[in-house]
Amino acid sequence: MTFFLKVIIRPTGIVALRALPQSKMRTALRYIPPTTLIGAIAYPLLHLKGSRTETFYNKRNFRSAAENVLRLFNWVTVKIEGKPRLYGSLLKINTIYRGKAQSAVTSFPFAVMYGEADYSITAIYLINEEELSKGPYTLRDIERAAWGMVRIGSRESVISVESVKKGKTEIEEMQETRTAYAFQFKDVEVEGKGTLQSVVDWRSGIGDYSKAKHIIMFYPEGIVTVRGNLKVAKCGEEVIILAS
Amino acid sequence: MFLSVGVRFEANVEALNMVETAGNYTKHRRVPYLVEEDGKLKTVYVPALSGESLAHAYQEHLAREALSIGLPVCDDCRRNEFFKSMNKAHLKKKIDPIPEDPKKIEEAIVKACVIEDVGGFLYAEKPPVRRTSAFQVSYALPVKSAALFATSEPQLHARHAQINASSKKGNVSEQMIYYVETGTALYGFTFNLDLDAIGVSAITSGPILEEDEIKARREVALKALFRMLSSSQFGAKLSRFFPVGGITELVITVTEHPFVVTSPIYNNYIDRTQKRLAVLKEFGEEYFFTVADENKVPEEALKEAIDYLREKGAF
Ligand SMILES: [Zn+2]
Repeated sequence: MTFFLKVIIRPTGIVALRALPQSKMRTALRYIPPTTLIGAIAYPLLHLKGSRTETFYNKRNFRSAAENVLRLFNWVTVKIEGKPRLYGSLLKINTIYRGKAQSAVTSFPFAVMYGEADYSITAIYLINEEELSKGPYTLRDIERAAWGMVRIGSRESVISVESVKKGKTEIEEMQETRTAYAFQFKDVEVEGKGTLQSVVDWRSGIGDYSKAKHIIMFYPEGIVTVRGNLKVAKCGEEVIILAS
Repeated sequence: MFLSVGVRFEANVEALNMVETAGNYTKHRRVPYLVEEDGKLKTVYVPALSGESLAHAYQEHLAREALSIGLPVCDDCRRNEFFKSMNKAHLKKKIDPIPEDPKKIEEAIVKACVIEDVGGFLYAEKPPVRRTSAFQVSYALPVKSAALFATSEPQLHARHAQINASSKKGNVSEQMIYYVETGTALYGFTFNLDLDAIGVSAITSGPILEEDEIKARREVALKALFRMLSSSQFGAKLSRFFPVGGITELVITVTEHPFVVTSPIYNNYIDRTQKRLAVLKEFGEEYFFTVADENKVPEEALKEAIDYLREKGAF
């Protein structure tokens, strides 16, 4: 048995996910990668224990504090209702610096989740109980942390968590299933619509992405049918596919 | 302690956040809004204010509030140029020679500048040292249910030049015509402030400053927000396009750990926020909640939040 948390998130309209961390320009992700989901829950989780640490330095190498809670999760995935639009207007920036006027044109794209329909983002976190039992966190802490997620992506992307449900699931193997949640696109056959997106494999670490491993994720539009040697977990009424 | 504020404000004929200038035409920032018409989706562009624009205004207020009680603000931030110790040239103004140890770099910056303590910084050298902002601000977007009534319309203006007859040659014009796109909408945005992050290291998690100074900085961080809201001093072009309107509604929560109010772009945000807060009781957590609407002015609600935080020993 594995515990899962199902977290329903409401965006404040804009989700700014930069494809290159620490870059403000040009590229944005349309869909939320797993690293962002881990980062989103790591911050309130660390907060609960009074930790303000964001970065660890090991001589000249540095890592994100989110790595400390990484192993608490077996898998994370997300379902997005409504198709976000990528948008970035051209900005002409004029600055006066040391008496000299400087001018540049740039753009700052982001995913817009705004319109008549209420966009809803649902994240599922599968919890690794063995790691959890080693402390210092309890399942209750992770649940409270889920209620305390404040943003998805960079700082304009403020969110509110509208519901947190917990449950138990068993991981099963099967040849075919239907899902609305993102999954790793590897050795599978998909029937239905969706978007492929290359994302950082969060299991290889969070923080320094310059040498990070990437995986291809499939973000379904609605529900799709997936075939292959699948590892599947039922979370309430819904199904998620774990990476092999 | 964690503060979250949801603000709804009415702004008629505003030019708070301009982008792209094409010739003599200045455009308002806009974002796509998807609507369904006869079973088909179409996009309507509505005026918006970026989170960065609101964050800039907040930091300007923060600099002013900090200086008014003698707290340190670095020379760059004092001029409202928020470079945030981004490279060696900027960091050298705070500490010279620059230490190798990231902890010492962070300590020097936090001690030297309230803005970079609260608003974060990214020193992009080797090793990079980063500190995430203790506050977050969303885009200000038209309230969903009224978004289709939001407008952005160009307004014609003329600038005059005095040219006497003898100097008038060629096609020099006495009038320069230009357009400013003005927005009109009922906007909503969310502002969060993590008071526990102020004066505390993002590397060691230990305090960098004396407790008294941390408390003083927390208080100015809050006052800066309240000043910004009650004075409506945020966004651009206020001297000629000061928006007509003001705050119509405001929700404030204070919790022990992070918690965000439901965005005021949704109609049921006050009820939703209150219901979600009630869940925190099950976690044994105390919280504060107040609403400013037709019965209470925003200043009263903001004062209640300050009093609660003082009572809780935040400052
Ligand atoms: Zn500064």
